[in-house]
Amino acid sequence: MTVNGRVEPDSHYPSPTDAGNSITQHGFKITTRKLPILKADPIEKVTKNLGIAPPEMIFGDNLVSIDYESGWGIQFNTYDALDQVDKTGGSMLQVAHSREWQSTREKKHKGITEVVKPFDWSYSTDYKGTLRSSSPLLEASTIPIPVELLKRPDPILFFDEVILYEDEMADNGITMYSCKIRVMPARLLLLCRFFMRLDNVLLRIRDTRVYVDFGTGEVIREYMAKEEKYEVVRQKLAWRGQDVPAQLRDPNNIIDLLPVVNKSLERLVVR
Amino acid sequence: MPGLPASVDLDECIERLYKKELLADSVIEAICAKTKELLMKESNVVHIAAPVTVVGDIHGQFFDMIEIFKIGGFCPDTNYLFLGELSSRVLACSADILSSAGSCAELNTFFASEPNGVADTLFHLGDYVDRGLFSVETISLLVCLKLRYPCRVHLIRGNHESRGVTQSYGFYTECNRKYGNANVWHYFTDMFDFLTLSVVINNQIFCVHGGLSPSIHSIDQIKIIDRFREIPHEGPMADLVWSDPDPEKDEFSLSPRGAGYTFGAQVVKKFLDVNKMNHILRAHQLCQEGYQVLYDDRLSTVWSAPNYCYRCGNMASVLEVSDQGERVFNVFDAAPENDLHRGEQQNQPNQDGQGVVVEYFL
Repeated sequence: MTVNGRVEPDSHYPSPTDAGNSITQHGFKITTRKLPILKADPIEKVTKNLGIAPPEMIFGDNLVSIDYESGWGIQFNTYDALDQVDKTGGSMLQVAHSREWQSTREKKHKGITEVVKPFDWSYSTDYKGTLRSSSPLLEASTIPIPVELLKRPDPILFFDEVILYEDEMADNGITMYSCKIRVMPARLLLLCRFFMRLDNVLLRIRDTRVYVDFGTGEVIREYMAKEEKYEVVRQKLAWRGQDVPAQLRDPNNIIDLLPVVNKSLERLVVR
Repeated sequence: MPGLPASVDLDECIERLYKKELLADSVIEAICAKTKELLMKESNVVHIAAPVTVVGDIHGQFFDMIEIFKIGGFCPDTNYLFLGELSSRVLACSADILSSAGSCAELNTFFASEPNGVADTLFHLGDYVDRGLFSVETISLLVCLKLRYPCRVHLIRGNHESRGVTQSYGFYTECNRKYGNANVWHYFTDMFDFLTLSVVINNQIFCVHGGLSPSIHSIDQIKIIDRFREIPHEGPMADLVWSDPDPEKDEFSLSPRGAGYTFGAQVVKKFLDVNKMNHILRAHQLCQEGYQVLYDDRLSTVWSAPNYCYRCGNMASVLEVSDQGERVFNVFDAAPENDLHRGEQQNQPNQDGQGVVVEYFL
């Protein structure tokens, strides 16, 4: 094996800043870490520990965390997000052409019936973050995230976007878990989104938002799961007269077209 | 064999494409038509002789493809085999010396200036388009190189060289955006139907985009596939571009996705024994190290899109096969030009570039 001489391997992946960014505001330390996808050996380890084949792009070292000086803390990491995926095959989706494929196949290759480790290969997760072990739990609440305060053009002191995993579902769509965080002088918003599009079958978005008010120490966590049949969304987009495949690649373009199937609201004051 | 319109100068096209300039859609139309005629004569199993440099998925990462030429040598000094997935994915390209010697001689006469005795061939394993930002430029250049040096550049079809997949993953949108209509997408995808399915190097190394099929025991069974069509959902042609190895298994297994197969160690061993070959070379799967070798060195995966989707941070490689059939992976990192064009990438919808754009999301 030879390596081209001009670029030192690992010289810019990760860059020192990608290996860990952080900012501390009013006792809240916000950290993001972005590293390359895992190598073969760590993938083998993760596969063994998770008990399922990991997604094609697994950013196993990536994370976003919010830690308060009192010891309270919440973290979003790749392993825990994947650990919430159904590993039994009970909620397994099948690609659109599956029935056609299987009926043809049955005639020819009856001998091959074993499915390799059935599991939810859409990697759908209802992960809402991992609380630090010493942290008090959030409690069910009716107080929503103050959206109006977040609409104000306050300066953004810290912004980052971190992907935990992504898979192209063997070109049958896309599934990914990504986090976005912005920190303003008086508050922060973290949005962790699971997005899944199984072509001609289903669209699914599961958003977890964490809001922190630095002044009061109030933490609000909102979880909202939305989904809709692919064909229903496709028709609505087509009616708008846009490039449908392009629209379907961006969850922001379709989120309003998906009905809510599950939601929860929790709150805690850490100060 | 009828020539290209007098107005089309292949060398000039190649020169412009190296500079990442777009060709006029009428030129693309003529070039795709000509390429179809050329590909139509290729067998489903093209036999070539080493030396050849084998390239895996590229996915429209234009600067990284140019990096490959800088590392491995430009055409026609190096023979290339592209294993597919050009558009926002990879491709294979190689020298076609054994099987279609007749048509090659004819083409060489037609294109006149092919130098004799030049060492290597370039070979692409499919998946040339989709996901990267420059699928049109990537595929245009590879097609021009194939036409210009038909015996030194070989393109294998990947699962992204299809109408369905390119609509979902970006090539269609990119064609529309760059040309204002979908004509160029039609020219390219019609031409994709003619790409060959596999290449055999030195009668030893079987090259394909995805992997093996339970319907195929001998390569003679590949030769009888009717390949001039969109990639079907099932059957041997689908399996060749879609299937993946599973190192924990011995035999074929069903994919949990409900369509497609994975193949194990015994399948590989048996296929090589039956066909008197010693190695399977394929692309199709991302590997952080740029390549992966499985089954006691009986199968290699080569991945040629570094920092895939401009965010994976992975290495890439090309595989150089020497005259004697020795295999050496040449590993490379993302081309520095990607950084210079980061702004351009960020302006693209759906490209979460490495650089971060601050955003008042809710």
